[in-house]
Amino acid sequence: MAADIIFTPLSIGDLTVKNRIFRSSISGRFDNEDGSLTQTRINWECKFARGGVGAIISSFVPVLLEGRIAAGYATIHRDDFIPLWQKLGDAVHSFGCKFILQLSHSGRQMDIPGVANQRRRTRSSTSRKETLHGFLTQAMTKAEIDQTVQAFAGGAWRAREAGLDGVELHGANGYLINQFLSSGINDRRDEYGGDLRNRARFLLEIIKAIQDRCGKDFPLQVKFSAVDHNNVIPWEKKGNSLEDGIQLAKWSEEAGVHALHISTGSLFPHPLNPPGDFDFNTIATTYDVMLASGVSTFRNYLAFRYPALRPIFRWVWFRMKKGLPVEGVSIEHARAIKASVSIPVISTGGYQTASFVRDIISKGSCDGVSIARALIANNDLPEQWQAGRDLPLVPCTHCNKCLLNAPKNPLGCYEPDRFGGDYDAMIDQVFSVYWPHAELVTPPHQPAMASG
Amino acid sequence: MAREATVTEVQRVEHGRGWIRLLVGIVLLVILLVGLVSIVLGGIAYFRFTRHGTPYQASEVDHFKYGSIGSEPASGLPYWVWQAMPSLFPEKFKGGDFSVFGFLYETDQQGRRRDLPIGVSRRTVNGVELAWLNCAVCHTGTVRETAGGPIRVITGMPSNNLDLHAFISFILGIADDPRLDADTLIPAVQKAGARLDWLDRLAWRYIVIPQVRQGLLERRVRLDPLMALQPPWGPGRVDTFNPYKLLQFYMPFSSLTEQERIGTADFPSIFNQRPREGMHLHWDGNNTSLAERNLSAALGAGVTVQSVDHAGIERVANWLLDLRPPPSPYHPDATKVNAGRQLYVAQCAGCHGYQEGEGYVFQGAHIGQVERNTTLGADPWRLNSYTERLRDLQLTLFKGTPYQFKHFEKTDGYANLPLDGLWLRAPYLHNGSVPTLADVLLPPAQRPKAFVRGLDILDPAKGGFQAPSCEPGRALEKGFCFDASQMGNDHSGHLYGTELGEEERSALLAYLLTF
Repeated sequence: MAADIIFTPLSIGDLTVKNRIFRSSISGRFDNEDGSLTQTRINWECKFARGGVGAIISSFVPVLLEGRIAAGYATIHRDDFIPLWQKLGDAVHSFGCKFILQLSHSGRQMDIPGVANQRRRTRSSTSRKETLHGFLTQAMTKAEIDQTVQAFAGGAWRAREAGLDGVELHGANGYLINQFLSSGINDRRDEYGGDLRNRARFLLEIIKAIQDRCGKDFPLQVKFSAVDHNNVIPWEKKGNSLEDGIQLAKWSEEAGVHALHISTGSLFPHPLNPPGDFDFNTIATTYDVMLASGVSTFRNYLAFRYPALRPIFRWVWFRMKKGLPVEGVSIEHARAIKASVSIPVISTGGYQTASFVRDIISKGSCDGVSIARALIANNDLPEQWQAGRDLPLVPCTHCNKCLLNAPKNPLGCYEPDRFGGDYDAMIDQVFSVYWPHAELVTPPHQPAMASG
Repeated sequence: MAREATVTEVQRVEHGRGWIRLLVGIVLLVILLVGLVSIVLGGIAYFRFTRHGTPYQASEVDHFKYGSIGSEPASGLPYWVWQAMPSLFPEKFKGGDFSVFGFLYETDQQGRRRDLPIGVSRRTVNGVELAWLNCAVCHTGTVRETAGGPIRVITGMPSNNLDLHAFISFILGIADDPRLDADTLIPAVQKAGARLDWLDRLAWRYIVIPQVRQGLLERRVRLDPLMALQPPWGPGRVDTFNPYKLLQFYMPFSSLTEQERIGTADFPSIFNQRPREGMHLHWDGNNTSLAERNLSAALGAGVTVQSVDHAGIERVANWLLDLRPPPSPYHPDATKVNAGRQLYVAQCAGCHGYQEGEGYVFQGAHIGQVERNTTLGADPWRLNSYTERLRDLQLTLFKGTPYQFKHFEKTDGYANLPLDGLWLRAPYLHNGSVPTLADVLLPPAQRPKAFVRGLDILDPAKGGFQAPSCEPGRALEKGFCFDASQMGNDHSGHLYGTELGEEERSALLAYLLTF
């Protein structure tokens, strides 16, 4: 009997992943305000390592404190965090799972700035405010670009020093690199704006800086949106096309990147990423934590909070999804890119059915899949697949309540129906991330830093 | 006080443009509120101020007395202004209501005095209830056997009480009276019983009252020169066609020739219309169509081409077709009546028909025909007031509809009218210049030169109403001193019977008293 292709190893440069299942980057606010990771983070990642995924792509990990999506996500902007990341890497490795750190910068897409960032505008390729929430923005100067490029390289170096297995540049979903890549967002007139080559300059400079700092052999993959679909707000420009995406893939390969991770959309969340439902009653209870973050948030809150206004947002959000499946929503984009490059291509987008995943890998549409929500719902999804189940016993509904709770509550599955309507059981599952507890210690008698 | 430091960049930016956002927000809020309020108020106003309709009167006679013919939209006054006028103008309403102008009030079935007099109807126009005149105002009168006797209200007889000239003069006179100002009028109508909420009061202040005043002023401007020129009509009389020229056709007063400016005539009776179809109608016989005459008379009451209620008019007209006058209360000597009848049949019936028992025979070689005034010798003013020019204009009315006027014509005399209900039709001749039947049979020189009009006490000896002689210009306790020497009031003409001897005249009078 031929081996199940899902469970055959995949090589990304020098890195070999035991199967084709990647835990896609997703995270709750499990960490400290200063960016140091916690035991809870280790617990979180090990849920998936234990469940059998081949590699975990970390949560969104900012390379600068000013580049975080939300306070409470671990960062990699400080050398003294290396041991912490090493602890995490060791923990994940203990389950035979690889750990790829996602080097990120939010740019203008900063949902919850935290006390460190709330007194300044976000940095971006543009000074135009973010369109959905009204986050304020300042176009980066050349010096700031150079500094940020080096910050990415520094983050990669720290990951390598921590013994992690590789890094992924988050160039998708509307974050900083995507803000440079996208023709719908980047309105610069310098060498970082204009045609695609100029818009890709920032990404390519980061790649080179990482290679310079860590060596070309250090596994490096790039995640980007094959198509921007930037016109979620109807009057916005559409942004990059698939043709642009294919070109970016080729340039990335030429630059020495070891793999590509293909997503969609120049916004997060986006109607097509993650695909699925949008629960207004959930967002109405969590969006309040973002009210102070942007100049359009109150408008959105009203649209979420009051049923009479919801049809407006519902139309905006759901008009893009018509006719598209949840599972493999952007597999065709991955297939087109896979056909244009020779490095591995990982596809993301609603995967949960073993036969479907098996089929797309077998047919060469991609080399692996990254999954987030279906793994939150069933941490042991790979094991269930391996045991012969096509769909897990209690599958993810793609309700997106996990995502919509994320700004305010611990990340987990928030669909009570999956727990037979037992709300307490659902909360127990959510709170399970806090076990085991960290070993608490007495601080040194001399403070590390002078206060006041 | 120092401005509080901002905590976030979003706050700083929002505070920086706070006044703009505040301003824009306020403007948007105001626009939203104004829009919402406008929609709500507009809806309320739409439903309130687009209501139209008139009360339906169950019986034909009540419809005649109180039903609408469509005069209110163009000529009417708000019902509550009508009700408030006696308290607003106490110096004009000595009796406390419109009976001071000769309007007649009845009691309803519950014995309560009705809110409006006979001849005044109600119609809601654009949500405002209006009141104005209908046919009954000029064609309902009263009679009494004696001064202290009970008053009989008789529909179809000519009004012997209504002083339309005085009423119109009063109405036009108050157009610029400060008491018609909103600050005075609105409390007055509320005191009279109107329940006006704030929206009504707003509509009254800015729409209803200004329109009322404007309408009255416009009518005053048009009618004033005419009213000033004409001798007061006195009770029971009207100038039918001259106001018609000025109000319906906007003819300037100066365009009227001197000969046509006085057309005052007696209100006619309107009994037994069916046999009159085809006869020359109106005093001068200028139309042979009952329908056209009815419609034209409605125009005289304030109806316009736009406001006319054809169904209301036709309901009245149908009822009048066979309306009989009450029988004469007189019982003269039968021998005399017989003798008089012979004289009448020989000399009068050819033009007027004749009374047969309690019925009237509408037959005669010349009945309903126009008698040239060169033959009749009656006062010519009423005849001259109807002109070819007016006729031409009348023929343009209701053009393109089944109601278009086609039968009006200019005549050269006065029509020979049937004399049914003659006992109720005093004073006599077209201009009401001869008080009694006995006086009609006298040569003009012997007819009263001045007499009191407006009394309703029967005169069984002379036929008609008591009409004592009076001195023009001297105030009367009751009634109006009619001066036959005034223009339009001449009592000459119609010399038939004046050459009879005393006995024959007495016999003819006895027969006429049975009509």
